[in-house]
Amino acid sequence: MKISKFAKLGAAVALSAVFLAACGSKSSSTSSSQVLNWNETAELPTMDLSTATDVVSFDTLNNTNEGLYRLGKDSKIEPGIATNTQVSNDGMKYTFTLRKDSKWSNGDKVTAKDFVYSWQRTVNPKTASQYAYLFSGISNADAIMNGKKPVSSLGIKAEGNYKLVVTLDKKLPYFKLLMGFPVFFPQSEKAVKEYGSKYGTASKYMVYNGPFELTKWTGSNLSWTLKKNNDYWDKKNVKLSAINFKVNKSTTTSYNLYQSGKLDETNLSGEQAKQLATSKELVTRRGASTFYLQYNQTKKEFQNADIRKAISLVIDRKQFVNKVLGDGSTVAKGLVSTGLAKLNGKDFADVASVKSAVETNRTEAKKLWAEGLKQLGVTSLNIQMLSDDTDSAKDSTAFLQSQIEENLPGAKVSVSNVPFKTRLTRSTNGDFGIVISGWGADFADPISFLDLFTSDNAQNNGKWKNAEYDKLIEASKTTDASNTTKRWNDLVKAQKILLNDEGISPLYQQATATLVKSKVKGVIYNAAGVNYNFKNAYIAK
Amino acid sequence: MRKYLLKRVFYMVLTLFLVATITFFLMKLMPGTPYSNQEKMTPQQIRIMNEQYGLNKPVWLQYLIYLGGMLHGDLGTSFQYSNQPVSYLISSRIGASAQLGFQAMVFGVFFGIIIGSIAAINRNTWIDTLCTILSIIGKSVPNFVLAVLLQFYIALKLGWFPIADWGGFSYTVLPTIALGVGPLAETARFIRTGMVDVLNSDYIELARAKGLTKFGIVYHHALRNSLIPLVTLIGPYTVALMTGSMVIENIFSIPGIGEQFVKSITTNDYPTIMGVTMLFSAGLVVVILLTDIVYGIIDPRIRLSGNGD
Repeated sequence: MKISKFAKLGAAVALSAVFLAACGSKSSSTSSSQVLNWNETAELPTMDLSTATDVVSFDTLNNTNEGLYRLGKDSKIEPGIATNTQVSNDGMKYTFTLRKDSKWSNGDKVTAKDFVYSWQRTVNPKTASQYAYLFSGISNADAIMNGKKPVSSLGIKAEGNYKLVVTLDKKLPYFKLLMGFPVFFPQSEKAVKEYGSKYGTASKYMVYNGPFELTKWTGSNLSWTLKKNNDYWDKKNVKLSAINFKVNKSTTTSYNLYQSGKLDETNLSGEQAKQLATSKELVTRRGASTFYLQYNQTKKEFQNADIRKAISLVIDRKQFVNKVLGDGSTVAKGLVSTGLAKLNGKDFADVASVKSAVETNRTEAKKLWAEGLKQLGVTSLNIQMLSDDTDSAKDSTAFLQSQIEENLPGAKVSVSNVPFKTRLTRSTNGDFGIVISGWGADFADPISFLDLFTSDNAQNNGKWKNAEYDKLIEASKTTDASNTTKRWNDLVKAQKILLNDEGISPLYQQATATLVKSKVKGVIYNAAGVNYNFKNAYIAK
Repeated sequence: MRKYLLKRVFYMVLTLFLVATITFFLMKLMPGTPYSNQEKMTPQQIRIMNEQYGLNKPVWLQYLIYLGGMLHGDLGTSFQYSNQPVSYLISSRIGASAQLGFQAMVFGVFFGIIIGSIAAINRNTWIDTLCTILSIIGKSVPNFVLAVLLQFYIALKLGWFPIADWGGFSYTVLPTIALGVGPLAETARFIRTGMVDVLNSDYIELARAKGLTKFGIVYHHALRNSLIPLVTLIGPYTVALMTGSMVIENIFSIPGIGEQFVKSITTNDYPTIMGVTMLFSAGLVVVILLTDIVYGIIDPRIRLSGNGD
């Protein structure tokens, strides 16, 4: 009879489930070995460093490959393949001596030619690299990217196997920092040619020269392993034998796995972070991204500085980061994020902060608002606010909307929460009144942020303009480029101008709350560019 | 029958063609570019990239190029996963989703039929009320809530099943239950309604009069007749489940296709959007055809060749 067959099948299924579960629960990973189990929140899309665009790819590339330098704690430059660097007096020419004991995982030596090949491949418009713009400033890079010059004209030459000469079009004071970013790592021409269109699409279609080798990655799966690279030149300082990465997109899931001991690290949602605020294992990773309001200054009402200042002054940012976001994000001190760059022990964000641009002062706000309205000759103002459509973006706009409407008489805020790509397109087209924008630094230098608000910058969506600001940014790149202090002062002054005029209203600096088992030591996290460096990480007893 | 089938296949191809066309043009109306670093690229850089990918060509030409590729089995390469062929992305991910969807359907339909039948046989008693309440709960509790509860209590606290990941059968049990409760409740409801009708009919009276056992009546006469409305439901439901559930896949960290699709839309990954849409549509039209054929097998009164088609 069919039903009895079904019943048998059902019983078999139930029994085998119990049996298999019993088997499964027996196997648990050993914690005394040097194996780290790390949570990842998204898939690894590619290992081709020329076309990579996301955090996971760059982090994996950083741990499996190596360029001229590695970035250590606080983005400090540490030795990589370059053993010696000479900079010409005018700062336009860099000569690197390369170590002879760096090898690819196919046994070939890493030579200067691998750098030349890699850089030329990335700036070649045919490669369609989305990060090629970072090469701007290296001789002829811009012309090559626009298809006006051949790739061979790029300012990078190999002199023999172990000497690399890079020439610049303009001074790049942050040049060494860039060298720690995977886009500037070498690539083996042999591997690229051999694997063809499959290059970088699975762990076996790639060669490695870094502290670890990537294994068990099929190109679309949710787990992979970094295995210690025994051919790495500095292998004695690599203590972990393996790092197992597991993609868990739900923080509820990864937290459960963390509690059960299957993971040594997990990301937390804002809600979880609030509940675990007293946990000793809570580690807040401060990002190098700042979120701020841009005002559309092609509209008359936002050309008025009083109106901009009034809006900024009514926002209670402390309440915003603690109650609305709750994920460890902090109140922004300015455009440039805290912890990004320091000079003589002083953080840029502190030195260049302007209190009135980020404080709450509702009495002053009302006064400025009334004046602003009078100057405009109106009694009320409709503000069109644009933002993303994620849950936290919706919470953010709801909060800002109520703060503005409750405190500024005659203000009416209409909110559009749209998908990310739509937000970008509308920002570029100037189709907004106020937009909540975010920016993350590619490298640990204030210019990574401050470049945005020069008059002709394509990302200056609000079209705020200030001649003095433009001049200071230009000076930091030309006349003052080689003088660290002068350059620093130019940039400090520039940010102060931007903030004093409320060209933008900084809101918060993003952070991610994580839990890390206390036995895990030596993991380096840098906010700008590549996040994680596991080279010296280890598990304590 | 053959003529009928040929005609149906022709309509299927036509449907797929229309789906491809409409999706392609709607997709091109979405604002933004497929580049994930769009935020940091200048309009000029975007223009250069568009040239590389042929996205600067007129939309109708892009459409023809896509159709041409599709006819040769080339679905293009993904933007999110650079250089990765869409066909590989789909084939490496669809297995887990299909297995999970199929298991959830078998689980749901099997227990749904049992619960529905029990309710119908005992109609208007407390057993019927209990079954109805259970199916209402099953229908109204969102599957992600159930998934999180199962994961916390059964996997983390009791340790009976793995918390997440994808490995052997034990990994599929909790997601199957979470995903299968919806179809279970739906099936139970359909079976109960259908069977209550059937049990009141004359031929059941006759069967009783013949002295058949209660089980014989239910199994041979009542169940078979109440399956027809269910078949209509099961087909499309199975396709929907087998093509992946983003929420369940995310909670149990299953390498399925569900999230791929949603993410491809939010990132403007044109080739992936097209690939997954075509897969879903193909699955659906095939299942609709199969459903029509199965009707005839279950109920001889519905004969394909006899209805003048």
